[in-house]
Amino acid sequence: MLAVDHVSRVFQNGKAGFKNIHLQLQRGEVVGVLGTSGCGKSTLLRVLSGLDPQYEGSIRTEAERPEEAFGMMFQEPRLMPWLTVLDNVTFGFSKKEKRSQALELIETVGLQGFEKHFPKDLSGGMAQRTAIARSLLSQPDILLLDEPFSALDAFTKMQLQDLLLSIWEKRQTTTLLVTHDIDEALYLCDRIVIMRGQPGQIESEIFINRPKPRKRGDAHLGELKEEVLKELDFTKS
Amino acid sequence: MSSRTETTVRPVSRVKNTRFLMKRNIYGSWLGLILPVSLILLWEYASRAGWVAPHLLPSPTTVVEEMAAMAQGGELLGHIIITLYRVFSGFIAGALAAVLLGAATGYVKVIHQLLDPMLQALRAIPSLAWVPLFVLWIGIGEASKITLVAVGVFFPVYLNLTAGIQGIDRKLIEVGRIYNFTSFQQIKKIILPAALPSFIIGLRSGLSLGWMFVVAAELLGASQGLGYLMVYGQNTSAPSLVIGSIILFAIFGKITDEILKRIQSKTLKWQDNLENAS
Repeated sequence: MLAVDHVSRVFQNGKAGFKNIHLQLQRGEVVGVLGTSGCGKSTLLRVLSGLDPQYEGSIRTEAERPEEAFGMMFQEPRLMPWLTVLDNVTFGFSKKEKRSQALELIETVGLQGFEKHFPKDLSGGMAQRTAIARSLLSQPDILLLDEPFSALDAFTKMQLQDLLLSIWEKRQTTTLLVTHDIDEALYLCDRIVIMRGQPGQIESEIFINRPKPRKRGDAHLGELKEEVLKELDFTKS
Repeated sequence: MSSRTETTVRPVSRVKNTRFLMKRNIYGSWLGLILPVSLILLWEYASRAGWVAPHLLPSPTTVVEEMAAMAQGGELLGHIIITLYRVFSGFIAGALAAVLLGAATGYVKVIHQLLDPMLQALRAIPSLAWVPLFVLWIGIGEASKITLVAVGVFFPVYLNLTAGIQGIDRKLIEVGRIYNFTSFQQIKKIILPAALPSFIIGLRSGLSLGWMFVVAAELLGASQGLGYLMVYGQNTSAPSLVIGSIILFAIFGKITDEILKRIQSKTLKWQDNLENAS
């Protein structure tokens, strides 16, 4: 579905960004990218989404029009404050054509009844739900999520993680999730890629073979968390 | 799902709330009338009691009578129409030029570096300093007056628009880039709506400057218009004419500003500010 082949993007004389990333995503796979801050994981998403075109290496997708292959969701909802929820979801498309699809998505993310509300009237969680719906409307081949729930409180975060699970169950969207929350990665992903260093490189990969939905307190996930923490070992340079 | 904690949330009805708010607004506008009405009453009383000389400050009723007499002859309407015509033509010309230049300098960096320093320098010139030049260039006809008003309107609109465009959140621009927007789509779908609040603020202060400049233009060389009426009143020692013109300026200035204010609150009801708080 997505093949990232020896892609590098460094700034500040090679002291920041990432180097030599080699990564492949299968159709329907959910891959998490974990790493300490400054290891270039957000930069990786900016490069993939086309926001940062100055990279080396090759990125291949199966999409006919590569620039439309990706849907992106940010840490903040980034809704247009002058548009209602419905208009935000259909943003960038003809409202007439996509209306029914948008209403369906709004229902999927649990916002029915809020179509005509402006972002100022939404809570943080509701705004992020709107952003989820917006990123899904184009039916992207690959969904890129950049720490999507890191600004939310613990309960809202869990609700939205479950919402993502149910969306994946329905649509089988291939997803690359950048996060610094180990529990989130273990709960949602089929595979976790761990990045380290400055510039960041892929340190290791961990496969999680547990069927979804998983239990948040699963003992096996606990063991995996130990492993991840060991890999991330903050004292190792 | 084991740990699903989905809660259903429903929008709450707001009808009650708005009704309460409307009541409060009507109450609020009555409150705003108390001071001017009592001042007019005091003024009327002062005139009748002979506290002030009528050839300096005629009573409100005299002013109204005098203006009504002028209005009946149809003379007043002519003055009002010509002044409104000058303000509106100047406003539209100035705002249009400001939109074109402001959008260009706000969006294209090279144009900003090229034009902005010069425009900022021109802004420092006091408005009345233009009058002799405009009269020299375009004569004493309508064109020079409209140009003066347009100059006055131009700067606040231009400054607010460029500031609005430059203040747009980079994060929203990035959303447009994710959608592979062209420059035109970027301007239409993100930049213009995001800059709209400061643009409307610019239009409102531009309009008030437009009224100021039309008075300047008409004081200095006109044979018609409310500003001319004031000069005429001064030369013929008719204070009621001067005061009447001032009141008319106040009324029309307020009405036109109110129109823009209505447009502002209607188009900007999405803003998360004190005015929209419920």
